[in-house]
Amino acid sequence: MRMINAVPAVFMIGLSAMILLGTSDLPYWVETTPGARFFPVWLAGIGLFLSALFLVQVVRGTDPVVLEAPERASVVRVLLTVVGLVCLAIIVPHVGMVFGSAVFMSYLLLFVLRQRFLPSLLTVVVVAVGIELIFVRWLGVSLPGFALTL
Amino acid sequence: MVLDMLMQGFATCFTLENLSFIFLGVLIGQIVGALPGVGPAAGMALLLPLTFGLEPVTAIMMLAGIMYGGQYGGTLTSVLINVPGEASSVMTAIDGHQMARAGRAGAALSIAAIGSFLAGISACLAVAFVTPLLSGFALRFNAPEYFLLGVLGLVAAASLGSSPIRALIAAVLGLMIGLVGTDPLTGAPRLNFDMPALYEGIDFIPVAIGVFGIAEVLSSLERSDEVAPIRTRLRDMWLTSEEWAQSRLAIARGGLIGLFVGIMPGAGASVASLLAYLNERKFSRHPERFGKGAIDGVAAAEAANNSAAHGALIPMLALGIPGSGSTAVLLAALILHGIQPGPRLMTTEATLVWGLIASMFVGNVFLLIINLPLAPAFAALLRVRYVYLAPGILVLSLVGAYAATLDMGTVWMCLFFGVLGWLMIRFEIPRPPLVLALVLAQLVEMSVRQTLLLSFGSLDIFIQRPISLALLLLIGAMIAMTIVNTIRRRRVAP
Repeated sequence: MRMINAVPAVFMIGLSAMILLGTSDLPYWVETTPGARFFPVWLAGIGLFLSALFLVQVVRGTDPVVLEAPERASVVRVLLTVVGLVCLAIIVPHVGMVFGSAVFMSYLLLFVLRQRFLPSLLTVVVVAVGIELIFVRWLGVSLPGFALTL
Repeated sequence: MVLDMLMQGFATCFTLENLSFIFLGVLIGQIVGALPGVGPAAGMALLLPLTFGLEPVTAIMMLAGIMYGGQYGGTLTSVLINVPGEASSVMTAIDGHQMARAGRAGAALSIAAIGSFLAGISACLAVAFVTPLLSGFALRFNAPEYFLLGVLGLVAAASLGSSPIRALIAAVLGLMIGLVGTDPLTGAPRLNFDMPALYEGIDFIPVAIGVFGIAEVLSSLERSDEVAPIRTRLRDMWLTSEEWAQSRLAIARGGLIGLFVGIMPGAGASVASLLAYLNERKFSRHPERFGKGAIDGVAAAEAANNSAAHGALIPMLALGIPGSGSTAVLLAALILHGIQPGPRLMTTEATLVWGLIASMFVGNVFLLIINLPLAPAFAALLRVRYVYLAPGILVLSLVGAYAATLDMGTVWMCLFFGVLGWLMIRFEIPRPPLVLALVLAQLVEMSVRQTLLLSFGSLDIFIQRPISLALLLLIGAMIAMTIVNTIRRRRVAP
């Protein structure tokens, strides 16, 4: 697990480098005033310093946190949920928020979480009707509706 | 003066609309606190977009109700199924669940509600009296003090927990997210990578909903085990005189510890309940009872977490510095409602501040009623299986995020931060410092640059001003304490 522990440090090093590169066209100091790059440079520096400390901890085995290895089935469940959420965000502009949400919930309850049909259907109907009543009817939010131009 | 303002606050509070929204807030807080997987910060973030149509004072009263209502609700799952609904209820679970197994679930829930109520009301009084004093003092603050205060909040948040480096990385990540969009002083485009969605920066709402709400549900979906709750009845809620005698001083001590810890930026209700519980065990005549159903352990932990939730409002209202994830969301709500937080808030928005303080007295009364006679009814809520709630929470998160901006870009950001938050949970990187830092990012950057502008680039300004020197020493002491504690822990560990 030790190398897995280093992932946050590697991520932070990448992010710090991205900030240093992404702000390279901005001024660090303008006459007597710190410029738009001043704070990002210091922040990236702190990010790199913390990442280095983190990596030292991981390499020396002094990291106080012991990460638990996730179960394969749990990770698959989460990944399938994330895939479902991404699909929901893709289909919402075409099929509408309420209908898209109903499809996503059905997928999650019946396919990913393997729940019984009737309670799942009831959950989907209650949430979909709730969204329509609260957001659309009560708050007057203009949620994306049907636009079948796939 | 304070009492006059408080009376005006009650006048603001006692309208049908405000009372209804305070009740709604504490009720939602009670529910999200009771549901493992949705904490008060997530609940507040999810409902934040829904408050845009409300008057700011009504919205803030409701959101604050969720914050302290969550402390009451977390008790139910701790006592009845030994699964803390909230991190601050972990200590309650230790003895509360043992009491439930011994047939005293009602007594555990009763003392938790009474302890939370008494400590909550006392903390409200402290908020009413301490906030104006601190805010008056803070009027002397200028850019250097604000910068150091922001840094103090971040260092304090990072100094707690098992790994300070992890917490600091989360805080730096939050500050980095705050860099995206435009430079706050010159308006120059910065780190937007020519993506229109990033031109105006990354909004607080998708980050909070993603990191707290979606991430928490994803993490809960990893666990498939569900435990049946222990049943409780109304007639079991009565305390014996012996139980009350054991608990009353524990409530007072827990409340005081909670208030003190809550006022310190970064500490929060979880640390407060831990310290109060350990304090009770250390000074108890019968420490061997702790862990086996000690009612004073439950009383102290619950009094402390509610008191801390209220106490955290003092630095937020007086200084504009959030002390916890929940107060960070509350502070963001103020900003999104067009209110500028900071020491002048007490004078420029007196109606809002005193209305909020008065609403907390009213909210605690509502919560006592909800938690004493209605506790068995809320306990029944725990029989609804979490798998049926999770899809609804996910969908409401995305709909709420969309409703805030009417832009699908916000939904995508919400998903991104949801996955990031889940990874943070997996890698045990604490999430509150990220949200805290995002709220403080603009203040920290603007104030450090203004400070260096005032001093022509010299850092001496930080030691030439007495208040900033004191803050600097406090930050130094906090960092030194963190390093010492880390070394000590390493030596103790095998």
